[in-house]
Amino acid sequence: MKKTMIAMTSITYAMKAKELCTASGIRCDVVRTPKNIGSGCGYSLSVRGDIEKAVALLDKNRIPHKQSYEI
Amino acid sequence: MINFDNSATTFPKPESVRRAVSEAVKKYGGNPGRSGHELSMQAAQKVFEVRAAAAEFFGAETENVAFTVNCTYALNMAIKGIMQYGGHMIISDHEHNAVSRPVYALSESRGVEFSIARITDNEEETLRSFRRLIRPDTKCICCCVASNVTGRVLPYKRIAKLCKEQGICFIADCSQAAGIIDLKLSDGFDFICTSGHKALYGPTGTGLLITNGEYPLSTIIEGGTGTNSALLEQPSELPERLESGTLNTVGIIGLGEGIRYVSRLGPERIRQHEQQLCSRFITRISERKDIRIYRSEAEYLPIVSFNIGDISSHIAAMKLSEKGFALRGGLQCAALAHDALGTTSQGTVRFSPSVFNTLRQTDMLADAVLSI
Repeated sequence: MKKTMIAMTSITYAMKAKELCTASGIRCDVVRTPKNIGSGCGYSLSVRGDIEKAVALLDKNRIPHKQSYEI
Repeated sequence: MINFDNSATTFPKPESVRRAVSEAVKKYGGNPGRSGHELSMQAAQKVFEVRAAAAEFFGAETENVAFTVNCTYALNMAIKGIMQYGGHMIISDHEHNAVSRPVYALSESRGVEFSIARITDNEEETLRSFRRLIRPDTKCICCCVASNVTGRVLPYKRIAKLCKEQGICFIADCSQAAGIIDLKLSDGFDFICTSGHKALYGPTGTGLLITNGEYPLSTIIEGGTGTNSALLEQPSELPERLESGTLNTVGIIGLGEGIRYVSRLGPERIRQHEQQLCSRFITRISERKDIRIYRSEAEYLPIVSFNIGDISSHIAAMKLSEKGFALRGGLQCAALAHDALGTTSQGTVRFSPSVFNTLRQTDMLADAVLSI
């Protein structure tokens, strides 16, 4: 089964995003970005649920992020 | 030994801080923000929780809290980050060397010009002193919230307002005041720089640089951040931009407990207790007419600087140490403040209690001072 991810710009934003999503009922975890997304090492939000809802929540709360992807 | 040198660093630390540090050494040994394995992620989670606690304490966004080694590093990062391309800045005549030395170094190496505002007992006069030094190329005012020598509180909210009116950056040295005064970014600070090991009761080797994000900083230290590793350019995202290299996880976790401890008690309650000790100390040592206390009618933090006759402050502090009391003599790393006080040659002896000191200990110290 594929996993849906949101690449984050930093671990701090990743953890802030996890806190926000969890509080809104979206299950997720912070994981090391498993492939080079952008410019090398980084962290992603692994979302177990509606990723579009998660992205919208981050945007609404001005949490910067990179692209969504699947592995 | 009874410690009355808490302005240098608080000791003892709260039991919760001691426990947290011990637990951190045992359990949180991974490198936070560098890997995806459990050890690293557990450490990163703890660091994030402390960052969030510090953000709440100072009214900041979590990502705008950067951990530093101490307040001196935080001040250097803020001052040099704002001023490294030149310009003019203003400091006060009550500054610690953590402000005055980096400013002087910038004047030597980068052509930065600086002016020194005079702090007087008249608040309006103090404000005028800052205002009249502002020039078209003034980029920032950097000053302490309170002097580390006398505890004198500067009119920091009005200085902040002046900065906002003039469109210049306000960098505050909150090292002595954080944990004693309830300071928030909303008081008008653009940068709060503080140590973590003083009135926040964290371990030594901890400090904070907190920003409202209005003034992006050039970096003075670059390196590994665990992100964007393929790029030579330092990442722009806070706080990682300002946190190159492995963090002091153990110290940070201890600092988190220190902040929670202060939050539970409340800065105002802590201040009242320490102020009570200062009042008692002043009353007791004032019995002796050749003791000079460096206070006026202005507002002070719970710090008392004094001298006994013309005895060198170093000698007086040494005699008190022999009697079992830790106080700091000399210039307290604040040459400008002593110039302003007129105590450059003698220095002062500094009494600075913590939440753990008692009236009985204060009386014992007063007896010792009176016996010198």
